Order: sequence, then structure tokens, then C-alpha cells
Amino acid sequence: MRRSFVLFVAIAMLATVPLVVPAQSSETLIRNATVLTASRGTLENTDILIRDGKISRIGRNLSAGSGARVIDATGKFVTPGILDAHSHLMLNAINEGSLSVTSMTRIRDVLNPTDIGVYRALAGGVTGALLLHGSANAIGGQSSSVKFKYGKPVEDFVIAGAPEGIKFAMGENPKRSSQTFTGGQTPRYPRTRMGTLEVMRDAFERARDYRQAWADYRSKKTRVPPRRDIELEPVVEILEGRRIVHAHGYRSDEHLNLLHMAEEFGFKIGTLQHGLEAYKFAPEIAKHGAGVSIFVDSWSYKLEAYDSIPYNAYILWKNGVNVSINSDSNERIRRLNLDAAKVMKYGGVPEQDALKMITLNPAIQMGIGNRTGSIDQGKDADIVIWSEHPFSPYAHAEITMIDGEVYFDRAQDRSRQAELRREREELEKLEVNRAPGSGGTPPRIPAERVEDDLGEHHGEIDGGHR
Amino acid sequence: MRFFVLAAALFAAVAVDAQSDGAQQNRIGRSGTFAVTNARIVPVSGPVIENGTIVISAGKITAVGEGISVPSGAERIDGKGLSVYPGMIDAGTALGLAEVTQGANATMDMTETGTMNANAKAITAVNPHTSHVNVTRVNGITTVMSAPRGGLISGQGTVINLNGATQGDMSVVPEFGLVINFPRIATFGGFGGGGFGGGQAIDFNEAIRRRDNQIDELKKIFRDAQNYARAREAYAKDNSLPYTAVDLRMDAMTPYIRGERPVMLTVERERDIRAAVNFVKEMSLKGIIVGGQEAHLVASELKANDVAVIYTNIYSLPVRPDDPYDFLFGAPGELQRAGVRFAISTGDTGAEVRDLPYHAGLAGAYGLSREEALKSVTLYPAQILGVADKMGSLEVGKMANVVVTDGDLLDPRTNIKHMFINGRLIPLTSRHTDLFDSFKDRK
Amino acid sequence: MKLKLFLFAFAATGLFAGGSVHAQSYAITNARIVTVSGPTIERGTVVVRNGLIHAVGANVTAPSDAQVFDGTGLTVYPGFIDSLTAVGIQPPARPAGGPGGGGGGGAAAAAAAATAQAGQSNSNYPVGLRPELAAFEDIRSNEASIEANRNAGITTVLSVGRTGIFNGQSALINLAGDSAGAMVVRNPVALHISFATIPGQYPGSLLGTFSALRQMFLDARRLDEVQKIYAADPRGIRRPDDDPSLQALIPALQRQMPVVFTANRDIEIIRALDLAKEFNLRVMIAGGQEAWKVADRLKSADATVLLSMNHPRRTTAAAPDADPEPLELLRSRAEAPKNAVRLSEAGVKYAFQSGGAPNAADYLTNAGKAVEAGLSRDAAVKAMTLSAAEIFGVDNRMGSVEAGKIANLTVVRGDPFARERVITHVFVDGQVFEPKPPATPASPGGPARPGATPGAAPGIPGATPGTPPALAAVGGNFSITIDIPGQPLTGTFALTQQGASLTGSMQTQLGTAPIRDGRVTAEGFSFTATVEFGGASIDINVRGTVTGNQITGTIDSPQGTVPFTGTRNP
Repeated sequence: MRRSFVLFVAIAMLATVPLVVPAQSSETLIRNATVLTASRGTLENTDILIRDGKISRIGRNLSAGSGARVIDATGKFVTPGILDAHSHLMLNAINEGSLSVTSMTRIRDVLNPTDIGVYRALAGGVTGALLLHGSANAIGGQSSSVKFKYGKPVEDFVIAGAPEGIKFAMGENPKRSSQTFTGGQTPRYPRTRMGTLEVMRDAFERARDYRQAWADYRSKKTRVPPRRDIELEPVVEILEGRRIVHAHGYRSDEHLNLLHMAEEFGFKIGTLQHGLEAYKFAPEIAKHGAGVSIFVDSWSYKLEAYDSIPYNAYILWKNGVNVSINSDSNERIRRLNLDAAKVMKYGGVPEQDALKMITLNPAIQMGIGNRTGSIDQGKDADIVIWSEHPFSPYAHAEITMIDGEVYFDRAQDRSRQAELRREREELEKLEVNRAPGSGGTPPRIPAERVEDDLGEHHGEIDGGHR
Repeated sequence: MRFFVLAAALFAAVAVDAQSDGAQQNRIGRSGTFAVTNARIVPVSGPVIENGTIVISAGKITAVGEGISVPSGAERIDGKGLSVYPGMIDAGTALGLAEVTQGANATMDMTETGTMNANAKAITAVNPHTSHVNVTRVNGITTVMSAPRGGLISGQGTVINLNGATQGDMSVVPEFGLVINFPRIATFGGFGGGGFGGGQAIDFNEAIRRRDNQIDELKKIFRDAQNYARAREAYAKDNSLPYTAVDLRMDAMTPYIRGERPVMLTVERERDIRAAVNFVKEMSLKGIIVGGQEAHLVASELKANDVAVIYTNIYSLPVRPDDPYDFLFGAPGELQRAGVRFAISTGDTGAEVRDLPYHAGLAGAYGLSREEALKSVTLYPAQILGVADKMGSLEVGKMANVVVTDGDLLDPRTNIKHMFINGRLIPLTSRHTDLFDSFKDRK
Repeated sequence: MKLKLFLFAFAATGLFAGGSVHAQSYAITNARIVTVSGPTIERGTVVVRNGLIHAVGANVTAPSDAQVFDGTGLTVYPGFIDSLTAVGIQPPARPAGGPGGGGGGGAAAAAAAATAQAGQSNSNYPVGLRPELAAFEDIRSNEASIEANRNAGITTVLSVGRTGIFNGQSALINLAGDSAGAMVVRNPVALHISFATIPGQYPGSLLGTFSALRQMFLDARRLDEVQKIYAADPRGIRRPDDDPSLQALIPALQRQMPVVFTANRDIEIIRALDLAKEFNLRVMIAGGQEAWKVADRLKSADATVLLSMNHPRRTTAAAPDADPEPLELLRSRAEAPKNAVRLSEAGVKYAFQSGGAPNAADYLTNAGKAVEAGLSRDAAVKAMTLSAAEIFGVDNRMGSVEAGKIANLTVVRGDPFARERVITHVFVDGQVFEPKPPATPASPGGPARPGATPGAAPGIPGATPGTPPALAAVGGNFSITIDIPGQPLTGTFALTQQGASLTGSMQTQLGTAPIRDGRVTAEGFSFTATVEFGGASIDINVRGTVTGNQITGTIDSPQGTVPFTGTRNP
């Protein structure tokens, strides 16, 4: 505890952008808030006691030990931290676009904890995300579930014990509809929706054989151990229900075919990602038991998205499907609260169920619903304090905390700006930071406008993510 | 080759499809005399009327206020618990010029080929039956400025109501302003689309040279247009002078070089906005900045030269990692405090124009007052588009672009209960409600 | 062949086979001797004989057969070691694709070259994933930069190529000798890995790089295991397929061979340490610009850092229209020189490397910046001598001034870390070199032309200037093709030569960059430039020769070394 605190302060002083130094005590008391629990309705004039990173008590007139941080939240609104079940934030690579099956790749390997996008997401009340491989492959890479512990070392971001996941993709992106070929280039298999399914089927068949080979070795039928195959190991885990499939797709028919194939191989699909046409086969999704993670209302940006409607969430909700609303964007992730508010209008999802779509539901889809996603005793203290109701367009997050520690504090953010300006002035005076007296290379051409910043990986996305 | 033909046919089929059911979808509503009674009325141009009546007749607002008597024969709408607002206006779109932006080129009419297309007029290409019209308007947006993009001079934007079976029915200002994709030092374009660099990495000094060359090119076009107009005018008065044949591109420039109509300069960064303001000043033009990401850093010049800003960067990320996280959310508030005329726009090509109220709402969360946030998508765009005499507020004599809601207009939870465009009561259906109806009860 | 190399790699160390050692004896008298392993001798004598240090001490007298150098006012250091560089490596010439390839031919030619290269190996892995490649095979005793480095006081380098994910296996070489075999001190030393990609195929992204490495290490481990099973009783088992690439990984898995990851940012270092931990590798970090941020991890992983002294500095020109530089960048430049002292405080083992600095002389000057930032002078000297020797397992034969060790000595007048220092003598394997001071405007005569000049007047450098050699004529405008596999770049060099100095610019699709530190020698030219690539500024070192209207050479970058060819424009 002590050591990590020292490390934290050291990093805060030396390395990173705005940070909040944590309280000296492991207790925090949030006083007199309107609490949107996301599980048990709204509690007025309510206190929340946080101890050792967990929600210890919820009630009125709670008291905390001396040294506790006390936050007066009179007139403020408290929600669980927002979770984004489809994000590519903090990744130094998004797609391994070379092969049609890249299950051997791991998002965990390429996490970049200092991505400024993480801080901006925290400022939008987001405390964690399911970080997914892109959609360039029928079977993509292994996902990573993180909390946005900005300023902490990378391993602290990874949610220990969260179930493993993997990306699948169908439709335009894995079949590379937009790719053009020059002389001598051969298109990658598959080029059709038919082929995409066959690639998946082939992987499942190979994984079955692989599992059998190991079983034979373990039962001493063979003397030589089989090769460990990190492409097939995650596929075996899928077949055994130990790895959650998050399947990118747009059209209802292809997603339905995937559900059928999963049933044939004896496992369940975790989430249909995007699922812009999920409303067309909501009863089948409910029956299968898959979740759906959607854009609330994006449409028409490509042909596959032309039948997308903002009533998608409502129809799925009405059918009892677990729905989450995701961003898939470093920009949009900052305003998921307003995206959730929209489903109250489009069809009329009740307020708490709308809030669930950005909190408890994504938590369930990520397999961490038992520990976060709602304001309930014993859960992780992943909490946002809002200036007003989070569905109001005029609301902004004031404090965002994860496991009871403050990672965004708007008041401190304001006061830090002047400090950063002073630091810049000092640093720019240093010889190493001064422009060469003569010559020198031309500076970078300034960016014009950033609508969906996925870092320096635009070229690599080839095959897409959305 | 055969594949290409097939693909073209497929895309054509999409377009045809959109048109055929578009005619059905974009129901044009019905006209008549309507009265919304007992409602909370937010005229925008004046104080809120807590319990008032608004009367709409023959396309116009004929009465608004407390204790208004409802004319006989008027269709009454009980406004108890409801609020009445002017319809919202998005001054920076390409709505109707682009249906499906990726993979369906046949539906794309935003960008003419070539650098100088002053004669390209959006009003001749906006599709009255695009599903973007009905999807957008049912969210309370009654009017948009739709403009071409790309090239150096992209063409002329049009101000249209989101209703009508023909372009003429929709038109409010058929040829409103000339879009100039103002030269900038950057890797790719903003609102105007990337006309240069093509996203390729180019040398910085080369980028500056290119920008300056393009500004020179632009000035030359304007001077050529002045010469052209002078020669044509002189010949009209005196046939003995040399005849100058009609040049459509030059001809289209005439109202703009004379400052009769505005030029819309799409430009984002501080240094480029300064250059744009200087250009407007030097050429004595009526200028509007579109995009305007860093316009608040150039506020005094903008104010001094009466250059307005159509701000399209609420849904953008700060370009520098060290910028405050709310740098762009806060910009409209800064503009307002500095006294710069501005409007908030989605800057979208069409499908997402319906998010206009939430753009304004976010500005409201970060430093713009709620009243100003509302004005930034109603009265202010009307003023910048030169149609404030017709719309943008609820005043007698104005065109009846009116929205009746069950809550704050900018709140995503709010439902639009009734809406009028040009006095017609518009059915609240869209491509999306149609699909919803088709599938909502499927078991 | 390679296999044999492997099997004997470790057995073969520890012997100095003195093929080209000069039998001459030397004595440096009256010198200050920084032994590094023991206390500094303020006034003493070092005797060199048969390539080894024969004696050292305050009371040692010069033997009668020795040529005596008066070391009054001079300091003797163990020969300085650059613990990671590409000096000495001459990349094999690629099959000519060349500039005349014609429309679209460039890519095809590069592909053909890659195929040709791939064809030379029976590896099942693509170029870029070939850990068996030995830098030793590419060492040439006449490689152009050897001399400049030796003149800068560097007697020994760890050298490896820089291309691919597996850069191959490094060799520790002394910077003098008639053949690579004579130069080599230890080979192979370590396996080197960069987190690179293989564009256009798997692994084409950082994601794939990690999974490809992981699968190869697993496959190598299995090959080792199956080979043992097979050797014990082959009957009833299909013999395992052999593969030179997998074989090359087995010593690394067995911790016999250290694995060096090129990693500068803290997150890159963390990734390297994590991967090393997964396979229980003996891990070293090369570069380590932000190593101080993760010092505790390095310490607990028992990792060693080959710390680059090429500290980052701003190279972009001032431009009012440009965006200000990110704070993170400003901070990282300010912090880099403090790296060494912080690693010392954290107890992390490290040695210095030149970090690809364009001029060999910059190595010592840059190391001086670590001293300015608080590192003790002794620690800095050790990081360029004994620490490096220890890290590479050769401290029993070099790294300090001790009797019996290899006679690698650097003799300096003045502060070795100051730009004004003068390297008066360099001993490599007992062979003495006397670098000439760089040409000054006051004494024109071209660049120093150092070389083995036994018998030259001792003590005062530059006392017997040699005949100035004719300089190469390299000025002009050249159209060039840079042979990046699969993606040849075209561009131009505009070179203006004034005597031994070279100015001008280079232009490619990546932009136009002015050249720096341009120099012309009798043999050819060299310069440095900074280009923007992949969103970062990278320094490149260009070396080449001009024959008639033909220009050829190599470009060194952190991403690797690539050849270029071209012709002079009329």
C-alpha cells in the first residue's frame, strides 16, 4: 500500500498529465447525493461510505472515521462508473490484419496506459472498458477488460479475474469489401459471408482435433507432446465456454447464423457487437442468451448500417436481451451518458434500464457484473459524481473514482492548467528543448480535426473496427 | 468489368429504393389553421410564456402569447405540460447530398470534381426524398443549410426546410452562400473535406507553400471574377465594347465578389482562421467561418470584422494532447462572451444532423448558458443564414417552423410531440419509425 | 554450419587467439592510470606486450624492448566499449533492383530480393523472424566506421544488425584486426529482438509480433523437448523436423544466451520484461530512454540495461505556425540524461552504448551529460568499460587496466567527457593507434587520417602530420532509391561539398530534411538527418561513396539498416 502510494506520487510528479493525489485514508464518504443505483432505483439524500476500494455502506447519515475524505454531494447525482463494452482506447495496435484467424493475438500485449484518451474518457464518467481487437478477421484477437486507472502502471488497468474474451467479426470488414487489389495481389480468403462462416467452422474443427491430441497425450496414447498452439488454445476455450465471444456484425442473418453455429458446437455467444439489425431477430437472441452491444443511433455511414434504427435498444430490451451501449470511439466514449438517455426517448426504455445499458449491462457482458456496474454494498467503488442528472445535456462529471480512488476531479483539472503552463515554460527553456539555431527538420504538419482518434493506427485499421 | 456493372446496378437499386419509399416516407403533412393552447412557450427572442397559445395559419405564426383567442375552425392541440419552441436550424450540413457515405457512391453528390465549382448549387442536388430528411426532422430540426464540400471552391450552399416533395418546396434560400474550402496548413480537411494533401504526409514548409499558393490562387479567382463581372456589366450598357462570353463558373461568383451573399470559409485552426479573416477583409467579402475549432482564439479579429462562426466541433477531440479535455466543448461559451456571432452545427453530412440539440446541450454543460445554447441552434443560425426575419424564433409573421415537446428541447430524453414546418403539421414518422413498426412486435 | 556455431559458441570463449597481434612492446610512463577495477594510479606506467597488459603500477618500469610513450599529462583508461552499435557490420549487397527498375519494378525487385534472401535459408520462418542470423557473418575488418570509432577512443563494440523482429545474434569485437575472426572477442553474445513488424504479412502489427514471438519460443522449447525424447529412444516416434530458427532460440530458453530487447519507452520496457518473464529469459534492455521510470521492475527482473547515451534533443526547426511540442516530449528530453544516475541509485546494472549517435566522438561527450546530471565520473567510466565487460561475460579479459587482460587502452588528454578532450593513443589488442586531432580552420589539411603508426613520435599528438589524402568528390544532386524491402523509397540528395564538410538536404516521400554533420573523407561521405516517420522524429545516419556518377551506401536508422543506390543528375 505504502509502496504503491509512493510510486503513484512519483509518477504523478514526474510523468503524467492531471492526476489527483489520493486521500491519506482508505475511507471516503460521499454525503447527501441523489444516487442512481442502476439496480435498486434512485435513492435521495443518500450517503455512500467507501472503504478499501469497496462500497461499504449506503444509507442516510453515515459516518466515517477520522482522516476520511468527505465529499459533500448535496444537489449532485451519483451513478456507477460507466463501462464501454466496445473500445479501442489505449491500444498501440488494433488489428492484426494479415490472417483470417488471429486468435493468438492479445490486446493485453499492446496496452498503452498513458493514452490521453483515457483521461478524457474519465472526464466523461467512464471507469472501464472492454478493449477489443479490430474487425479485420473472422476470428480476431483476445480482448482485455480494463479499468481506467490513469497514471498507474499498466497491470493495474487489467481487471484481475475478469473472464477472458475474444473478437469475432462478420460482414464487410473481415471479407474486406473495400479493399482494392493491384497486380499480383491475391484477395485474402474469405471474400463472402459464406466464406467467413467456413473460416470459423474450420477453426472450431481444428480446435476439436487439437484438444483431442492433447487428451491422447495426457492419457499416454502418444509419447510426444503435441505442439502448443496459441492460435487454437483460445478457440478450445471458446468451445469449453471459458472464453466469451464478442462478435462484430451488422446484418441480422449473419449474426443469426453465428448463433446457430455456436449452438451446433455447444457454446454460447457472449455478445453481438454493433448488431445494428439485432432488432430484427430479438426473440432468437433472447433464446440463445447472447447480449448485444450497440451504438445507440449511428446509421447510414455505410451500406451495412442503412437499416440501423435507434429503437434497436428498446426492442431488444423488451425481449429481455441484455443490451449495452458502446462508443467504439475515443470521441464518443466521452458522452455515453447522453447516448443512454436517448433510449428513453426512442421507444421509452425506463430510466434505470437506460442507465444499466452503460453500467451494469456492459459489466455483465464483460463477466464482471458481480463486482461493478451498480451502486450496491460490497461492489467496487467505481463511482461518478455528476453536476446534475447524468441524462441532462447540461451535466458534466465532477469526480470519477475507481476502486475508491479519485482519477478525475474537475476542480483539480482546472487548477492544474496553470501549473502545466508554468511547467511548459520551464521545459521549453532547456537546451534540449530549444530549436536548433539553424537548419533542423521541419515540424509536423498540424492536425486539422480529430473526430475519432484511434492514435497513429489509421493505416493499420485496414479492415476496420466499426 | 462485369462485376463493376453489377455493382453499379446494385448501388443504383439502393438509390432507387430510397427514392421510391422516400416519396411515401417523406409525407409532406397538411396545412391548415392550428392552435397549440395552454403550453409553455419559448419564443427564444423574448421571455418565456408559461401558459400561452400559439396560432399557426397559412404557413405563418399568426398569434403567440397569453390569453390569445383561438380562431374558429382552428385545429386545437392541447399543449398542457408541453413546451413550444422554434424549429432548430443546422447551418453546416450536407444533408440530402449524401445518403450512404461509404460503399455506395451512387448516393453521393457532395463533391464535384475539380477545384473551382462556384456554379455547383446544392439546391439542384439535395434529394427531397432522402430518409435523412424524415429522420432528422422528427428530432425537432426543421431547417438546414446544406452545402457541397471539397475542392477549393466547393459550390453554393442552400437553406432548406426539411419538408417538401420538390427542391422548390423545400427551398428557403436557394443559393445562400459560396463554400470555400479555405487553404490551410494541415494534413486533411475539416468540414470542407480534404482537398489537399490527400492525407499523405507532406513536408511542413511545403504545406505552408501550398497553402500560400492556394490563397493566391483563390485571390486570383476573385479578381478574375471581378474583371469578368465588370466587363459583362459594361458590355450590357454599351454594346460597342468587346463582348465577354458567359463563363458559368465566373458568373456564379458575381453576388459573392460584391458582398451581396456570404462566402463560407471552412477552416479550423487559429493560424488559418486569421488568414481567412484577412482574406475576407482584403477582398471586401461577407464572410462566415465554418468549422471554427479555434475561432475563440481569434475572437477579437472575428468580432472586429463581423465574421460569424458556424461551430462544428463539439463532437471533435482536441488536436493536441495537452489541450484541456473540454477545450472544444467550451469554445462556444468563449465565442459568446467575446461577442462573436456564432451558431452551433453538427457539421454532419446528414445522418447525424439529428444530434444537433445535444451538441448545443454539451456546450451548455461547459460554459454556455442554457438560453444561449438554445439560441445557438435557433435564432443565431437564422441570423447568420440571413433568415431571421422568417424563422429562428416564435414571433408573429414568421414562418411557422414550430416544435412542440414534452421537455427541454436540448435534452435527449425529450420527445417531440408535434411539429410544423412552413405551417404544415408533419407526421412524426421516418424510415426508423417504419422499421420500428415492422419489427417491434415480432415474436 | 550455424548449428556448429551454436554448439561451440560458449565453449569457444575465453581464449585469445592472437593471430594478428603485434609483437611490439609498449610502455606508457608518467601517466595517470584509471584502472577501474582498483584505485586510480596518479602517476604510473602501463606495459603492453604481445597484445596484453603486461604490467601496470606506480612503480613499474618500462622494459628495455618497449617503445616508450611519455604519458605526462595523459590519462590511461581501459578501452572504451560501446555496448550496442552496428559498427563493423557491412550488410550483404542485395541483388540489384536498383533505380532503373522501371515502372512498378521497384516493389517487384525488392520482393525478389527478399525472396532471394529467404532462399538462402532453410528456416521455416520469414525474413525478420530469423534468430539464427549471426552478426559475426557480416563483420568486415575494413568496414568504414571502424576507424572513426577507434579514433574516438572506442576499442570494443557489441555489434548487431538492426532489421527484423529478431535482429540476430550480436558479436563483441575489438576495433582492429585483419579479419573478423581476429577482431572477435566473443561470439555470439546475445540474441536481439526489436518490436518490429513484417509489413504485408504476419506479423503485420505489434499484436502479431508478440504472438509470433511467443509461438516461436514455445515451438523451440518443444523442439528441444522432442529432440531429447527422440534421442533417448527414437523407435516408434517420427523424428522431429529441424529448423535453424528454432534451434537458435534454445540457448536463450536455457538462459545460456541473454536476450536483448530494444525498448525505450517505459511501456515498451515493461512489455519486454513481461515477455522475458513468460519464458524465463535472461533479459537485457537496449536503449532504455525511460528505464528510470521502471527501475524497480528492472531491478526485480535482474535485467541489465544497455543505456543509450544518444539523449533526445529537439531537432525540429522553430516555426510559428507549428503546434507546440507535447509536454510529454519536453519532459522526456529533460529527464533522459538523469537516467543513469537514477538506475545507479536503484541498483540496476547498466552499461553505456552510443545509441547510434551520428559521430563516434559524441559517445563520450553524451556520456558527459549523464555526469552533468549527477552521475559520478567513476560510474560513467565504469559504464563504458568494466560494467560492459561484466555484462558480456568478458570481464576476466577486458574492461579494466590489469595485468594479463587484453591491451585495450584509451589514452586521453583532458576531461574525457568534454568536447575539448584529445584522444592521444588508442591501443587495441596491443596495437597502438594515434588519432590526429580533427582538422581546424587554422591548420587545414583535411580530416585526420589515423592509422597504425607505430614508431611515431610519442606524446604530442599531431606532431607528425601525414600527407593529407585526396578527398572524395561527392557534391551534386543525386536521384536515389532506398531499398526498403517491399517499399522502395525514391528521393534526392542535394550535396554541397566544401573541403571535408558537406551540407545540403535529402528529400524523400517522408519530406525534406537538411543534413547535419556532413563529412567527406578520402573514401566517401557521411551525414546525419532527422526524418519524420510514423509520427516520430528519427535520426538516420547516411554513409556512402561516390564513384563517377554512381552513389551507393547505407542508411542506418533505429528501424534498421538499408542500402541505397543512385546516380548524379546532370
